[in-house]
Amino acid sequence: MNRSSAQGADDPILQWVTFRLDNESYGINVMQVQEVLRYTEIAPVPGAPSYVLGIINLRGNVVTVIDTRQRFGLDSADVTDNSRVVIIEADKQVVGILVDSVAEVVYLRQSEVETAPNVGNDESAKFIQGVCNKNGELLILVELDKMMSEEEWSELESI
Amino acid sequence: MSRSVATATRPQLALQSYLDGLLQEAALELADSASQDEFEAAVLEEKVRDARQVSVAPQQPEKLALVAMPQPEREASPVLIEPLAEVHLAAPPPTPAAKLHLDGRPEWAQEPFECLLFDVAGLTLAVPLVCLGSIYPLVGEELTPLFGQPDWFLGILPCQAGNLKVLDAARWVMPDRYRDDFRQGLQYVISVEGYEWGLAVHQVSRSIRLDPNEVKWRSLRTQRPWLAGTVIEHMCALLDVAALAELIASGAAKRMVNGQVH
Repeated sequence: MNRSSAQGADDPILQWVTFRLDNESYGINVMQVQEVLRYTEIAPVPGAPSYVLGIINLRGNVVTVIDTRQRFGLDSADVTDNSRVVIIEADKQVVGILVDSVAEVVYLRQSEVETAPNVGNDESAKFIQGVCNKNGELLILVELDKMMSEEEWSELESI
Repeated sequence: MSRSVATATRPQLALQSYLDGLLQEAALELADSASQDEFEAAVLEEKVRDARQVSVAPQQPEKLALVAMPQPEREASPVLIEPLAEVHLAAPPPTPAAKLHLDGRPEWAQEPFECLLFDVAGLTLAVPLVCLGSIYPLVGEELTPLFGQPDWFLGILPCQAGNLKVLDAARWVMPDRYRDDFRQGLQYVISVEGYEWGLAVHQVSRSIRLDPNEVKWRSLRTQRPWLAGTVIEHMCALLDVAALAELIASGAAKRMVNGQVH
C-alpha cells in the first residue's frame, strides 16, 4: 500500500480521505483517490453485477461506479445534494464509489490505527483495515483493494 | 428497587427455563460419565427440583447495592467514556490459556472467589471479578457498528482504555430465546480484563463471594467454553469471561452457531 507521507520509519503519518455512509465515517487512503465528483447521472449497464450501479463519462473515459452501500451491506438510500462519486484507483483499475458525502482529509499516525475485530465471516468484514478515533468520532478505515475479490475486479475490468 | 410478583414472573420463568436447560445438560454430562454413580445423579435431580421450587416461589426483591456505582455524570457529548467502576481485583488476571482443572474449575476458582452479578434480559449471570476490567455506562452513548460482523457484535465504544469492542451478552447466553427487543435498555458495558472486549448488559447488581463448592462446574467445555457452571443458591449461571474473550480473540467464535462452537 502506498503511504502518503512518513514521519519516522516507525510511526508514519498517513492521509485519509473521509466520507460518510449511513451516518458512519469511513476513511480511504488519499493516494488511491484521484478526484471527487458531484453526483452525476449514472447509466445502468445491463447484465452488470449487483454491486455495479452503472457507468459515467469522465472526460471521455468510461468509469464504472460501485454501489458502496450494497458492498458494505447497508440499506440503499436516495441520492442527495451531498452525494459524491469518489474516483479511486484500486487493483490497477479506476472506478468510482458512490458515497453519502465526502468530509475531509485527515492525518493519522500508524500507531493510532487499531485493528478491527476479527470475528466476521462475511466477505465484507475483510476490507476493514482498522479503526481510529478522530475528531471525537470513530473512523473506519477501508482497504479498497480488498473491496472486491480477484474475480470481481476482473469482472469489473470487462464492463 | 421493588418488583411486583407479576412483573417478576416472566423473567423468573425465563431464568428457570434457562437454568433448567443448563442443569439438564449437566445431568446428561453426568449420566455419560462413568465416574458418577446413580446417587449423585439423584442428588442432581433434587437440585433441579429445588431450583424449580425456588424460582417459582415469589421472592422478596433484594436490595441492589454494591459495586461503587455513582450515577453517571457525563458531559453533553463525551468523547471518551470514563469507567463507572473498576471491578478488577488485585489478583493476577488469568492468562489466555487459563488452566482448567479436571473438575472443571478454572484456576481462579481453586479458592473462594468474588463474583459480580449482572442482569441480561431478565437472566442473572455471575462473572468472577478477577476477570473483569471496568464498567462503562452505555446509556446515551453511541456504539459504532462495523459492517460484515456477526449479529452478536454490537459495535465499538470509545472509552478511556481505548476502543472497546462490545458484544451482545444476551445473544451469547440465550441465542435460542433471543428477541430483538433485548437490544433495548442495555445500560452498561463490562470490560474483560486483558482483552479489548466488553459485555453489554441490562443491569449490574452486586458482588457475592462464592465458595467453589457452591458451583456446579461444567467439566466438559467443548460446546460452550464460556459457561463455567451454575450456582443454584443464587439461581445464576457463572460465566468464564476470559474463556469467552479468548474464544473471540482467537477467531474461534467465527465457527459459532447459536452460542455453541462447532
